[in-house]
Amino acid sequence: MSLIKKKKHVSKKNKKAWRKHCDIKDVEDFLEDQRLEERLGKFEAKKDSELFVVDTVGEEKPEVVDVKPLTLKQKKRALLPQTPKCYEVLLPTSKVQDPNAKRNHVNPVGTKPTALSKLSLKKQFEKGAYLKKVELARKNRRIVRDKKRRIKEIRNTFDKNIWGEDVLEVKGIPSTLCDDFISTEAQLHNVLPEQRLRPKPAPPKTLVTRPAVVTPHPGVSYNPSYQEHQDLLQQVVQHEEKLMKKEAHLHRVTTSLFSRLTPHEKENQWREEMSEGLPKPHNPANSPSTPSDNDTDNEYKAINPPVKNKKKDHKARRKQKERIAERERLKREKIDKKKITDIYKLRKLQTLISGKEKREEALRVKRAARRALVAATAPPALSAHRTPAPQPDLVEPAQLTGDLRNISSTVNLLRDRFESLQRRGALAASKLMMTKRKRLKAYFKPGHKVTDQDVENYLKKKMVKKTTKKAVVTK
Amino acid sequence: MVSKKKKKYSSGEGAQFMTRKAALKKLQLSLKDFRRICILKGIYPREPRNRKRAQKGAGGIKTLYHTKDIKFLLHEPIIWKLRDLKVFQQKIRKARATRQFGQMRKYLRDYPSINIDHIVKERYPTFVDALRDLDDCLTLCFLFSTFPSIKKVPRDQSLLCRRLSVEFMHAVIAAKALRKVFISIKGYYYQAEFEGQTITWIVPHHFSFQPQSKDEVDFKIMSTFVEFYTMMLGFVNFKLFHSLNLVYPPQLTAGFTPETDKDLVDEHAYVAERIAALNISVAKIAGSNEVEELPEIDIFQTEDGDPQKLEEAKLEVEKVKNLKTMFKGLKFFLNREVPREPLVFIIRCFGGEVSWDKDHFVGATFDESDESIAYQIVDRPSMDKQYLSRYYVQPQWVFDSVNARTLLPINKYLMGAVLPPHLSPFVDKIKDQVYMPPEERALKDPNFKPLDDEPSGSDIEEASDEDAEEKEEDSSEEDDEKALTRQYQQEVAEDSTSEDEDVKDDLDPEKKKLAKEKKKAMAVSTGVTHKENPYQKEIEDKQAFRLREKLVRKKHRNLYKSMKAGQEQRKKEIWLLRKKRRLHDEKVKEEKKAEKRKQKMQALEATS
Repeated sequence: MSLIKKKKHVSKKNKKAWRKHCDIKDVEDFLEDQRLEERLGKFEAKKDSELFVVDTVGEEKPEVVDVKPLTLKQKKRALLPQTPKCYEVLLPTSKVQDPNAKRNHVNPVGTKPTALSKLSLKKQFEKGAYLKKVELARKNRRIVRDKKRRIKEIRNTFDKNIWGEDVLEVKGIPSTLCDDFISTEAQLHNVLPEQRLRPKPAPPKTLVTRPAVVTPHPGVSYNPSYQEHQDLLQQVVQHEEKLMKKEAHLHRVTTSLFSRLTPHEKENQWREEMSEGLPKPHNPANSPSTPSDNDTDNEYKAINPPVKNKKKDHKARRKQKERIAERERLKREKIDKKKITDIYKLRKLQTLISGKEKREEALRVKRAARRALVAATAPPALSAHRTPAPQPDLVEPAQLTGDLRNISSTVNLLRDRFESLQRRGALAASKLMMTKRKRLKAYFKPGHKVTDQDVENYLKKKMVKKTTKKAVVTK
Repeated sequence: MVSKKKKKYSSGEGAQFMTRKAALKKLQLSLKDFRRICILKGIYPREPRNRKRAQKGAGGIKTLYHTKDIKFLLHEPIIWKLRDLKVFQQKIRKARATRQFGQMRKYLRDYPSINIDHIVKERYPTFVDALRDLDDCLTLCFLFSTFPSIKKVPRDQSLLCRRLSVEFMHAVIAAKALRKVFISIKGYYYQAEFEGQTITWIVPHHFSFQPQSKDEVDFKIMSTFVEFYTMMLGFVNFKLFHSLNLVYPPQLTAGFTPETDKDLVDEHAYVAERIAALNISVAKIAGSNEVEELPEIDIFQTEDGDPQKLEEAKLEVEKVKNLKTMFKGLKFFLNREVPREPLVFIIRCFGGEVSWDKDHFVGATFDESDESIAYQIVDRPSMDKQYLSRYYVQPQWVFDSVNARTLLPINKYLMGAVLPPHLSPFVDKIKDQVYMPPEERALKDPNFKPLDDEPSGSDIEEASDEDAEEKEEDSSEEDDEKALTRQYQQEVAEDSTSEDEDVKDDLDPEKKKLAKEKKKAMAVSTGVTHKENPYQKEIEDKQAFRLREKLVRKKHRNLYKSMKAGQEQRKKEIWLLRKKRRLHDEKVKEEKKAEKRKQKMQALEATS
């Protein structure tokens, strides 16, 4: 199609003018056609089936829906949500996105409450028109606040890889500076020094070396083999025997040191002691039958004869001296003799001494080993209270039902954990002090205006209170 | 000039330690707060070497802390927070006393929570450190998850414990990290392996909550421990889930989200919820692949170069690999009398699918009538309706299979059977030098075959026959080899002779001689492959070992000697017991044989 244009003389003096006034549309059309043919294939080469479709349906008429034309009012209503023409100048025309994604929302003009609207609102509020709305709003606000808070809480989310290197907070950058628009220089400037001012001291050795969860003895299985269960029982028996021995020792050392008296014996003893020196009742068995000694006259006679200062004579003194000297000489002689014989005994003595030394050395090693063992397992003494000693788990044969349904346990796992912490030295052993609750006695203070009726009423009230309390407890 | 006199205990052990009272004064905290911050920060009381000096001459036993520890605490920002809390508590108390309950409620609502995630990072600088210390944490969290709300424990703590423990179990399931299980009277012992760290924890049996007597355990202290441990477990879970390409936090059932106000009043309902939550597969991060399998271990020439150890390690890896896919593609159905939680956890850990009666509990995935169920786990002597397409086994089979790391033969675990003992997998490997009767060995090692496997006397003759046959076969094999070598030698000989003949034809005898000599000089003799003499090598190895033994330090020499002597002794004992057993068995065999022969003779006599 080429429109025949009226010829018009124009200058085609320079390139620009030439380009402007030269009509190359037909050439371009032709080239476009050619390109199209290259793309889609030649028209002649196409099959009929590709070009034509057999029409089986016939022409369809679009259904005419009876739509009422919009009224003027409706048209105006429809226009309402659109931005007014006058504000179109204010809209952004640039295609560059706003760098600040969360720009503060500015209320459009006209939304600010006027003095008049405020007044009317207040009036209506006072009338109670908004009571339900206010209640609802308060509730909604509370829900939103709670939800926000819950989402924020790290305990619910844990959405931080504290061991990852890529998280900014992990590097020590304050969370206020972890934003997209803050330069890395600024962030790094605020990093706290890596080296701590005070390095944390190492935890105690007992805590590091002792296992938190001790591997169980195979005999505590719910269905143990006979051998292992016997082994476990044997352990318990040994432990118990040790305890019994200790107890027996304590008993021997304390209680059984003192002889025991029955109250009857004690009474007798007391009676005897108290009646010492008193004239005894006449006992014919005790009284001498023959009055031969007694028949002498009643003269006083001491039991021990009086002491006399009788001097030794010279002879006796000499004899005594000689005796002492002789004894001394014999003693000397014996020692001298022993000296001579000891020379021959030297080797025997040496073996004796070395043997004793060896035995003592072995004992020392043994003792050291035992001490080391105790130190390895003993709970550290961290407070005046003592950590309860670990007790081997006892599984009574009656407890072993052999199936999982009827397992019964006497072990308190929480206490087990608590004591494990104590044994490892994470906690100082302590005795729990229970706070004693004060028992207040309520009574009715009598006054001059109190009648019997008042007292009765008070008592009744108290009874009612008590019964309700009990009911609550039983619930 | 006289130098100033040094005060006593101003240096050395006396200055190193500080009593608790002094620490309280220094930190200006109440005992309650001090206890709490100590637990959170991991500061523990110390035992001094010389108590008298450490207590500055005072007698008795006082709780002592390192001065350095206390100075370290002094820098903790949480202390300021604790002081703020104190103010808040005063306000609340005042409001309560003046009966301004609205105000009080507001204070309670805005009560600030202490954030301790920086402490977790500080106490466990690397993830592996945290994993190493997870035993206690897991045990306590699992324990607290069974608790109802108690007076001294914060209300949301047990709910949080529930959530975190189930999440951790999901991580174990996804990583297939479980290695050992043990049912004890105390509870279920589990052992998992993450990043080369073995984590052992105890899960209590599900009884209803047992009331604790008040003076046994300090609940306040334990709950402070749990407060720290929940924080730690949360971050560990986060890291584990992310390393497994899973979405954290996982969407579990309704009972675990704090948003829902739905109360699970019934304890059973709670347990059912928990198990149902375990049976859900966790959402994967979009676009992530499966966590790739670990490649085979490379063989490095280690310093000691012990090939046996290397072989052992390889075997171990292979076993673990097998274990991970033990239940893959198998469907399990749990009867209602079976403890479901451990079973669901274990079966799902090794790739199995689990379901249960949907009428009784929530969360069932398939019906009992499903024909593709491979195993039904039953803990009752008999059942009315049984399907032919599945095995009915007792729950112990699952646990024992896990510990044996293969699917054990089910014949000992069938419904109503008397179960074999449940052995502990936590037996020391060091104590392997003990005599094990063949029966026990067969229990522990399914591949072990006792030498005389014939229980009845009738097989004895057959066995001897078989032995003979085996011998024959051996000899025939040897014959074959000999024949082959002979043939080969003949062929070689023939070749050489033919060449010689060719030469013979052409040349004179003199030349022949010359040529022969020349040929001898030039000849390429057939190479002999270097054959290592195994005996020689053994001797050399032994010598090298002895040389190395000489290098043991003087300090350790005695210990080494005693260790070796102990090993020898134990070996000897085992050998002796084995010998005794063998002799005994042989004797029994003989006797049986004699008995049988006698019987036969008698029968013959009777017939004749």
